[in-house]
Amino acid sequence: MTYKVTDEGDTSTVFLDGEIDMDKTEGAKEVIFPLIDAGKNVNLNLSNVQYMDSSGISVLIESHQKALEKGTKLIVKDVSKSVLKVIMMAKLEQILNLE
Amino acid sequence: MNTEATNLSEKKDFLVRSSSLKDVRSFSREVFEKFKIDENLREELVLAIAEAAQNIVKHAYKDYPDTQDRMAVRISCTDKELEIAFFDKGKPVEESKVKHRAIDDVKPGGLGTFFIQEIMDSIKFKEGDKPWINNLVLTKKL
Repeated sequence: MTYKVTDEGDTSTVFLDGEIDMDKTEGAKEVIFPLIDAGKNVNLNLSNVQYMDSSGISVLIESHQKALEKGTKLIVKDVSKSVLKVIMMAKLEQILNLE
Repeated sequence: MNTEATNLSEKKDFLVRSSSLKDVRSFSREVFEKFKIDENLREELVLAIAEAAQNIVKHAYKDYPDTQDRMAVRISCTDKELEIAFFDKGKPVEESKVKHRAIDDVKPGGLGTFFIQEIMDSIKFKEGDKPWINNLVLTKKL
């Protein structure tokens, strides 16, 4: 997994790349959580993530809940078809902010 | 590969590590390509296999992150059914403790087993023949 972060005002956009599994979740959290802790709104762009398993889904849930606690917003953007299928299997399409 | 009639089977072993999961997925994708499994089914089958392998790493070897043990994955296919078997030498699985979280209780974790149940038609935990301890068998009608 690789990533890129861009900033615009109080919003950071995190572009994740590759396949997100148990081996990659700590890396994803290390990128996303400090931004939320710093009070930023976070756009998580998943257009280049082709695969995500239950560990990756847990990162989405944890990030979403952390943002709620901090009074910021996490938006999951440009989700690839394959990852959307997994999000829907977990019945999270109404819980997460998807765009 | 066994090519008798329409029975196909491929088996490979992997070091029990989270870093092996990408290799488990690659192996599964290669086998599904070779077995000409319906493309619409392939990625969800890969997810089920990866979740089961992840459970071995996370649960059967919970206290042994630096183990040198290997786990094996065998994918077998007939015209009508796909069977995926997992073999490991970790802590014996207590089937009564294998359950997913309630799906409407949204919190991190507890989804791997749910995904496997959603994707596959049957899940059977068996005692492994020596030297294996656990033998999980997943099936899917084709």
